[in-house]
Amino acid sequence: MATYDFIFNRLGLRNWCGESGDTGDGMTSMAQLLAETSGDDVEMSAWETPFPSMDALHEACPSFPQSRELTSGLESGFLAIKDTLKVVVDPLTQPLSWALNEALWVMQTVPWFIMIPLLMLVSWVVSRQMKLVALVAICFGFLGFVDYYIYTMQTLAIIFVCALSCVVFGVPIGIAMSRSDRVQRTMIPILDMLQTLPPFVYLIPLIFLFSVTEPKLYGIAIILYAIVPVVRLTDLGIRLVDKDVIEAADAFGMSKRQKLFNVQIPLALPNIMAGVNQTIMMSLAMVVIASLVSAPGLGVLVLRGIRSLELGVGLLSGLGIVLLAIILDRVTKAALARINVSQSN
Amino acid sequence: MKNKDIKISIRNLYKIFGSDPKRALQYVKDGMGKIELLEEHKHVLGLKDINVEVPTGKTTVIMGLSGSGKSTLIRHLNRLIEPTAGEVEVAGDNILEYNEKDLRDLRQNKMSMVFQKFALLPHRTVLQNAGLAPSIEGQSERNYSEEARKWLDRVGLQGQADQYPHQLSGGMQQRVGIARALTSNSDIMLMDEAFSALDPLIRTDMQDLLNELQAELQKTIVFITHDLDEALKLADHLVILNDGSVIQQGEPQHILLNPADPYIEDFVSDINRARVLRVRSVMTSLPETQLERSGEIDHEDTLESVIALSEGDTALSYHVMKDGKPVGVLDMRKLVRALVPSEQSKEPESALFGG
Ligand SMILES: Nc1ncnc2c1ncn2[C@@H]1O[C@H](COP(=O)(O)OP(=O)(O)O)[C@@H](O)[C@H]1O
Ligand SMILES: [Mg+2]
Repeated sequence: MATYDFIFNRLGLRNWCGESGDTGDGMTSMAQLLAETSGDDVEMSAWETPFPSMDALHEACPSFPQSRELTSGLESGFLAIKDTLKVVVDPLTQPLSWALNEALWVMQTVPWFIMIPLLMLVSWVVSRQMKLVALVAICFGFLGFVDYYIYTMQTLAIIFVCALSCVVFGVPIGIAMSRSDRVQRTMIPILDMLQTLPPFVYLIPLIFLFSVTEPKLYGIAIILYAIVPVVRLTDLGIRLVDKDVIEAADAFGMSKRQKLFNVQIPLALPNIMAGVNQTIMMSLAMVVIASLVSAPGLGVLVLRGIRSLELGVGLLSGLGIVLLAIILDRVTKAALARINVSQSN
Repeated sequence: MKNKDIKISIRNLYKIFGSDPKRALQYVKDGMGKIELLEEHKHVLGLKDINVEVPTGKTTVIMGLSGSGKSTLIRHLNRLIEPTAGEVEVAGDNILEYNEKDLRDLRQNKMSMVFQKFALLPHRTVLQNAGLAPSIEGQSERNYSEEARKWLDRVGLQGQADQYPHQLSGGMQQRVGIARALTSNSDIMLMDEAFSALDPLIRTDMQDLLNELQAELQKTIVFITHDLDEALKLADHLVILNDGSVIQQGEPQHILLNPADPYIEDFVSDINRARVLRVRSVMTSLPETQLERSGEIDHEDTLESVIALSEGDTALSYHVMKDGKPVGVLDMRKLVRALVPSEQSKEPESALFGG
């Protein structure tokens, strides 16, 4: 006799359940196995009343699904829509694969004696700080010296493409959120989910959807993980723009569009840039995990360190990621500081 | 045809804030007060049956304490706030019928606004801020820079064009605000407590600047303030607002001498009347008794200057001249009586408590 027999009896569902008791239709639950080993149908005390879980209810009524059927149902459901989903998602995401491939190719093909000065120049243009340019030179010099130059460039290429995509999609989403409370209310739970869901969890359906050799697989994983801050901070930044300035823009007859591009976005720029900084840092964090699904770069070395217990490789590539993080963080923060100075009131 | 001297007329204007203003409006029209409306129906009575005519080329000052609805009222003139009921007519046009394009045109070309907190664009230079109106119309900086520089120079900001607003003091920022309004070349200027955030000395400078500009340009200015001294210094036409209703409007000197209700009496009682009142408001017009007078004074002189002239002798009386012709006489005794608020001159005892 199972604990919850009475529910089905009371509701008059006994017939639907079929035979009462254990008729074992293929799948056996863990509890049943345990019960079998410890001898059948021991009278249970009230203390041991099981939670009315799917398995417990299944015991009382064989027609009631087991939790295992739920998970396998989810899986077969996903597999069933997979092909149609792929038809839609595949072409849409194809540009990401191309972009990643192109970026990887460019970063690896341009010789180091052009690439490193180019990166130094970029950091100068963005930050106007000689100190940072020197930092960039030292870090890339060091990484090249220990023969990690190619890996570093691969990581940089991936981050460049992914962070850029985050900005391209994240900023408009943030703007839409700032303009409508309804959009904001629907987006916030989604963003919360993206931020808290362990990245491994959405890697799984992505692996089903795309082949592991496609760059867009890790591209999407990184973008989903890293897009959250730029969306949130764009929304926040635009909502925080001084009401008086907006009113002045209205009073002088600006159209909505002019207001957005000439007032709201420029004034929200410090916050948007703070979001971009966070987004870059998060994509860097994700690069290591993405190596599990064939993303090239420093993450591959970290994984090699773990898999074959090569402590030195693991430590050195870890250091490489830290150096990259420091450079990216300092350079974007310096850009942020420049924006702040030009519009502090 | 409408009267050419009236630029803006506001008729039977009501504004109620809340979820269902139309329903609340009925209660107000049936005589419900602001406090009752808030307590029983959770609606805020912003403005109640406002009727104001703003004369062309003059400065109209709307005065009232904080929360009396001044900002709400001025924002109806360019429809930053939509009324619950009533009409607003600008230069003969009912602006409530305007579509979005007409409204933008009104705001770009016919009305400009100066704000209490300046509300400059922090990421644009002083020149670009001054040229906001032409830039909204799509003109390039090269095109509008001459006009913008002209007005920046005129408000005393020579050589500051390339600064950013945060590099300027409050008074200078508000000068940019005024230059921005002038560069739009609109006839009407709305100024919401434009000088209230400034230090007293700078505020006086700005008032003088505004009076100078006004003498030169004759714009139709609607100026909001909570400060009676400021109101009297600037106003050609004074509107006094309390709890969302107009309680008196007219020529400022007239209001000062004939306050319509105790609230205004209270308001005007601590003003320096000698400095504010003009000879024309207290003189007796042309009795033509050819008595001997001690001298001639102008009809726009303040009483303060007449007292200085008479050296405090109340036995004297003067000819009042306007454009070189005599228009009346001023007896020093009458002048002294006018210095005491009317309520107090009627009941001397209350002066003891009146402070
Ligand atoms: N958006 C709004 N919602 C609700 N009440 C408002 C709103 N704007 C103004 N009010 C109310 O209207 C009244 C007049 O406000 P306001 O015009 O700002 O006064 P003033 O400018 O004279 O200080 C105040 O009681 C204020 O609380
Ligand atoms: Mg106000």
